[in-house]
Amino acid sequence: MTAPAAAPSRTPALPRLIGPIRPRPRWVELRLLLLVAAALAVGSISLNATVNGEFRLYDVQGIVIYVAGLLVAHLAQVLAGRRTDQILLPTAGMLGGISLLLMERLPQDLVTQSFFGTTLTLAEVQLLWLLIALGIATTIGIVVRSDSWLRRYKYTWAAAGVALLLLTFVFGTEVNGQRLTLDLGPISGQPSELLKVILVVFLAGYLSENRALLVEQDTRVGPLRLPPLPYLAPMVVMWAIALGIVVVQRDLGAALLFFGVFLAMLYVATGRFSLVIIGLILFVLGSALMATLFATIRTRVDIWLDPFSDPLGAGYQVVQALHAFARGGLLGVGLGAGLPEIGGRPPIPAVHTDFPLAALGEELGLLGVVAILGLFLVVVERGMRIGAAAADDFRSLLAVGLALVIGIQAFTIAAGNLKVLPLTGVTLPFISYGGSSLLANAVIIGLLLALSDKGVEPPPPPRVGSSRRWFRRGAAR
Amino acid sequence: MDGFLIVVWAVRLLFLGLIYLFLARVIAALLRDLRAAAREPGDRPGRLVVLASPAGEPPAGQSFGLDVITALGRDVNNAIVIDDPFASAEHAVLTYRGRSWYLEDLGSTNGSYVNGRKVEGVSPIGFGDELQIGQVRMRLERAATR
Repeated sequence: MTAPAAAPSRTPALPRLIGPIRPRPRWVELRLLLLVAAALAVGSISLNATVNGEFRLYDVQGIVIYVAGLLVAHLAQVLAGRRTDQILLPTAGMLGGISLLLMERLPQDLVTQSFFGTTLTLAEVQLLWLLIALGIATTIGIVVRSDSWLRRYKYTWAAAGVALLLLTFVFGTEVNGQRLTLDLGPISGQPSELLKVILVVFLAGYLSENRALLVEQDTRVGPLRLPPLPYLAPMVVMWAIALGIVVVQRDLGAALLFFGVFLAMLYVATGRFSLVIIGLILFVLGSALMATLFATIRTRVDIWLDPFSDPLGAGYQVVQALHAFARGGLLGVGLGAGLPEIGGRPPIPAVHTDFPLAALGEELGLLGVVAILGLFLVVVERGMRIGAAAADDFRSLLAVGLALVIGIQAFTIAAGNLKVLPLTGVTLPFISYGGSSLLANAVIIGLLLALSDKGVEPPPPPRVGSSRRWFRRGAAR
Repeated sequence: MDGFLIVVWAVRLLFLGLIYLFLARVIAALLRDLRAAAREPGDRPGRLVVLASPAGEPPAGQSFGLDVITALGRDVNNAIVIDDPFASAEHAVLTYRGRSWYLEDLGSTNGSYVNGRKVEGVSPIGFGDELQIGQVRMRLERAATR
C-alpha cells in the first residue's frame, strides 16, 4: 500500500529571481583548490629545476595569476550562496593548471597573437583563455537558475547549430586539409566545439519530450525490437549530418564525437541496446563508405594500422607520439626534460593542440597519464550523479550528455594519441591549447554547476511538443 | 651534482604524488556523496506532487511516494484518494514497468490527461510530465530529489 509520504511537504514556491545574498561556505571546494595550488607550485618548481637548475617557481606571475583566478571563482560562488557541486571546479582547475604548466614548457613561439599592440606567446595566450573560461564557467554556474531558455527553444538552438555548421561549410578556411576554422574578421574559432554543446541541448530536449514514446515497442525486425519507425528518423538525420561533416570538413573527430554522444544519449534515454547496435552498424557502414571515397580518410586509417610504413611522412606525428610515450615509461622523464627539440622545434608539430597527452606521457609517465584520465573520469562521474539527482528528464539528459561530451572527446583524442583509434583532430578538453575548446568546455562546466544546484526552481510544466503532435498524426493515419 | 639530481627527482615525484593526493581526496568526497545518497530512502520509483486541487483533497503541495502499482480515484480503497467531484471511483492506475511509468485510464467518466492530452488506454509518461484527474493536476517526479 502507498502511504502519503511525509505529511504535507513544502508547496512548490514561486521562483525567486533575486533573493537576498546569503554566503554559504564551500569547504570541500576550498580544500581541494588549495591542494591544486600546492600541486601546481611543486610542478612549477620541478619544471624550473629541470630547465634552469633553480628551485624556484618557473613562471611566478603565470601560476600566481591562475591560482588567484581559481580562488576568485571560489569566492564568487561562496558569496552567491548556491548549493552547487564543489568538485567540478577543482577538478577542471587541476586539468587547466596542468595545461598551463605544459604550455609554459613548450617552445613559446608555437603561437603568437597580438592583442591591442602587445604580443602574447603560447603560455600567455593560454593563461588568458583559461581565465576567461573560469569567468564564464563561474558566471553561468552562479547566474543560471532556470533552464527554460534551453528547454523551450531547443529547435531554435538546433537551427542556430545548423547555421553555424553551414557557415563553416561555406566560409571556413582549410587548415591541414580540414575545413574547421571560421574566420570572422578579428575573431576566428572552431564552431564544432560550440556545436557539441548545442547538440546536447537539442538532444536532451528532443529525447525528454519523446522518451516515453521511444520506449514503447512497436516494430520488430528479426531479433531486434525497434521503436515506432518515425522516431528513428532523427537517428538517420543525425547520421547524415555526421557524414556531411566528414565529407565537407574532413573532420573525423567532430563526426565521431557527435555520433558517439548521440548514441550514448539515446541509450541513456531509452535503455534500449538495439538502438545502439543499429547506430554502430550505421557507423561502420558510413566509415567504410567514407574510407573508400576519400583519400584523406583512407590515409588516416592506413597511418593508424601501420604508422611505421612511412615514419618520416604521413606517419611522422603518430610515430613520434609513440616514441614519446615509450621514453616516458612509468614515472616519466620529468617536466621540462622531455621532447628534446630538433632544430628549435618539438618533434611533434601539433603537440599543443592534438598531442598534449603524448607530451605529458613523456614527462609525467604512465602514472601521470593515468591520473589525468582519472580526472576526466571524475568529471564524467559528477555529470552522472547530477543527472541521477535531477528533478526531471530534461535536466537528467542534459547533465549526462554534457559530461559524456567531455568524456567521449577525451577518450577519442587520448585513444588517437595512443594509436588505439585512428587519429582525429579533436582537442583534449581543458588541456589542449585553444580558445574555442576552452570556452566550450567552460560552458559545459558552468551548466553542470547550475544543474547541480539543489533547491533550484522546479522544472516548468511540460508542453506537448510540435514533433510529438506531428508524429501522432502520422501514426494515426 | 648527484645530490641535485636526487632533489630534482624528489620534486618530480612529489608533483605526481600531489596529483594523486588530489585524486584520492576527490574520490573520497565522491564516495561520501554516494554513501549519503544510498542511505536516503530512494527505493520508491517516483513520487507524485499535487500542483492544483480546487476541491482541497488531496491539498495542493502534497507529495505521494509511489509504489510500482498505484491506484488513483475517488473510492477510499485507492492508494491515492482523489476526492474531486469530477474523478471516478476507480479512475486510473499508475504502473512502473521496465524503466518507465505508464498511466492507464480505467474507463473513467471524465478521462485522464497527460500534459493536457487525453489518455486512451495506456499511455507512457516521463518524469516531469503533468497528469490531470478530475480537476486535480499532479506532476510525476523522481523520488530522490534532495
